[in-house]
Amino acid sequence: MVQINGSNLNVRIKFTKTGALQYISHLDLVRTMHKVIVRAKLPLWYTEGFNPKPKMVFAAPLSIGTESRTEFMDLRITKYVPEKEIIEALNKNLTDEMRVIDAYYPETKLTDLKWLSYTILVKTAKPCDDTLAECCERALRSEIVEIEKKSKPGEAKKIVNIAPLIKSVNVAAVDNGLQISTCLSADQSSFLNPEYIISALKNQCGILNSCDLISEYYSIMREFAYRDDMSEFR
Amino acid sequence: MKHENISSVLKSVTKPGRYIGGEYNSVIKDKATVKCRFALCFPDTYEIGMSNLGVRILYDVLNKDESIWCERFYAPWCDMKEKMEKYSIPLSSMESRDELLKFDLVGFSLQYELCYTTALAMLKLAQIPIWSRERSDDCPIIIGGGPCVYNSEPIADFFDLINVGEGEEVLLEISHLYIKMKEDNTYTRSAFLRAAADIEGVYIPSLYDVSYNSDGTIKEYKPKCDGLPSKIKKRIISDLDTVEYPEKLVMPYIETVHDRIVLEVYRGCIRGCRFCQAGMVYRPIREKSPETLCRAAKCLYENSGYEEISLISLSISDYSRLPELTDKLLEWTDDAHVSLSLPSLRIDSFSEELMKKVSSVRTGGLTFAPEAGTQRLRDVINKNVTEEDLTRAVGIAFRGGKSNVKLYFMNGLPTETFEDIEGIAALAKKVIDEYYKLPKNERPKNGVGVTVSVSCFVPKPFTPFQWEKQDSYELLIEKQEHLKNCITDKRIKYAYHDAKVSFIEAILARGDRRLAPAIALAVERGAIFDAWDEYFDYERWLDVFHTTGVDPNFYTTRGFGLDEVLPWDIIDCGVSKSFLLREREKAYKEQTTPSCAEQCNACGANKLGGKNRWCK
Repeated sequence: MVQINGSNLNVRIKFTKTGALQYISHLDLVRTMHKVIVRAKLPLWYTEGFNPKPKMVFAAPLSIGTESRTEFMDLRITKYVPEKEIIEALNKNLTDEMRVIDAYYPETKLTDLKWLSYTILVKTAKPCDDTLAECCERALRSEIVEIEKKSKPGEAKKIVNIAPLIKSVNVAAVDNGLQISTCLSADQSSFLNPEYIISALKNQCGILNSCDLISEYYSIMREFAYRDDMSEFR
Repeated sequence: MKHENISSVLKSVTKPGRYIGGEYNSVIKDKATVKCRFALCFPDTYEIGMSNLGVRILYDVLNKDESIWCERFYAPWCDMKEKMEKYSIPLSSMESRDELLKFDLVGFSLQYELCYTTALAMLKLAQIPIWSRERSDDCPIIIGGGPCVYNSEPIADFFDLINVGEGEEVLLEISHLYIKMKEDNTYTRSAFLRAAADIEGVYIPSLYDVSYNSDGTIKEYKPKCDGLPSKIKKRIISDLDTVEYPEKLVMPYIETVHDRIVLEVYRGCIRGCRFCQAGMVYRPIREKSPETLCRAAKCLYENSGYEEISLISLSISDYSRLPELTDKLLEWTDDAHVSLSLPSLRIDSFSEELMKKVSSVRTGGLTFAPEAGTQRLRDVINKNVTEEDLTRAVGIAFRGGKSNVKLYFMNGLPTETFEDIEGIAALAKKVIDEYYKLPKNERPKNGVGVTVSVSCFVPKPFTPFQWEKQDSYELLIEKQEHLKNCITDKRIKYAYHDAKVSFIEAILARGDRRLAPAIALAVERGAIFDAWDEYFDYERWLDVFHTTGVDPNFYTTRGFGLDEVLPWDIIDCGVSKSFLLREREKAYKEQTTPSCAEQCNACGANKLGGKNRWCK
């Protein structure tokens, strides 16, 4: 347990954000969590000053449309609470699609989280075969994988090579589509949003290009977190 | 429609979080065990609907009854509506995701007239006929409630049942009647509606015929059968301390307009400002006790995690036990990092003590509503605040560190002259002067800023001004321009409402059943979200009025005769017409009327009963 100034402690909450909750933004998540921790009656530390707020820090924000089995939030509390109690108190105040799966007093910093793995399921209008899967895998494993980076209105569009940020990628043909397992950079300065994998596939392999939003869709699930040496991040 | 089936659609629209439901504290029941499925519909976006206290109260009241399952529906934003129409995705509830047609009773909360088109658009999307007469026995009963139903005549042909007044008890009675008739096998639409007409506060428009005189005014309302009341008396909750109030709130995941606990402190208002409909129709004034309120506040805080409590009422400073309430709340709110907010503070009650106690008053901006620029006009409208009250209040605010003040006014009030308009600019200037009266070291650091916000007067039903005419569009524009020219100080910002919107609002607020074809045609032509700037289409409204033979000026610039049958005469809101006429006369004599706290002015609302009242 690492003590911060005085008796204050940092506790790390590991939680899931799945199902319908993939459609709320990161800011919505922060606001929701704020209320959950107040309902859970945890001994929160509040900032000083005009507008006191609890101290919550999140690792690797999620975009709308990505689910996750491995989210991390650090919370500053004023005294020790047994881990089991924290988990129970939080889950009592949450719905099924956001579950706290672990709570502990961490030895590591959130910034030690360097890589994140994802499972991306693509459902296509036409059935996919191994050839298409191999083509996609080759495209994503190439030394140059170019995507157009989202820019603010008025800014020029930037073309970026994301290959160095893709640690590994496997593509397999499944019923009605493709399954992509990939490990992407999660470092704050070089974070790769898995949506760019979809963009790359759209541009280079021509999938998900129909306008029919009902027969073609994709889902993204964040699975595991790793340190730089690929050991589990905790 | 479950979210799994439409994930691409959700990813392609703005704020998909509006459509997912499944919120903490949302109520899920077993369909098989409930006897009545009630759909509460708010005809605007999720963020606006979730911020409405009335709907949150009714959701709680109905769901506390084991035989009823109440679910919520909101209007999908235009991008989502387009996709729903393209892919045949039905309008679904936030809880079960079932379609509106599957429900037994459907209640729309009608908060402002410009939401009528959105309500009808929702019915269309749900494939329910918008005309009451076209609905079969399989169709749900469509109920209208909320402040607009004090004159529901323009939309009377679209609603099967109108709930006039407070809904906490009457909606349960309507639901139980429905359950009983279904169990007895006596249910048909017409039988149910006839039986419901006997419940106090229930208006069945289809059971009344309206006839007109040759000059276009209303001749009479005639009940179609025996035993129907000639006027529908509004329903009130007698004892606000014992009526059900939520201990839990459905917690939205996304940001809504009011991310705070909204605590209703009392209903009604003692002031009797002559333009204000709310102050009249919510009488008799009934208060909740500080004990009830504190218990509710603590409970809601623990079940929600909200860190702000807003004390809501028409005029919070007139609550008879305000110091007791704030002291009781402050016993735990400061330590819990919960701030108190007191909106609707009257200018003449703003004090140093209040500023110290109430943190939002410390941190936020300040708003005051003088409503008129000269004392003469303020006396006409019975807004009993003086210039001294205003300068004293802003002096306290400035000394307390606030540098920005917002002032609300109205254009187009009865007897208004251009001198009154100029008075608005003069008042704003006096506020600036008050700032400079302070010694330099006591002034707030950021300099001073005054915002003057002016809306257009709409003569509303059940006010002493209900017979008045609205200023023509041209005159309103002239007045707005005149005020713009009078405000030369750079520190004063001037904002004014679109007179076109106020014109349409006036027609819908004062109209009769002959407006229905125009409203239906507007919806057919795509009218929706009329309260939103980006979707309000003035020309379309003028066009549908023209096509359906409605002269808009009949309801706005004509003014109603004092002997005329008014469209809303079918409703009894408590306050008597003779009281309104007396007040109107006093207005024209520039005479004020004291508040209910000072003397009883015999408005008539005390006949409705009620506990913890101001009425003698």
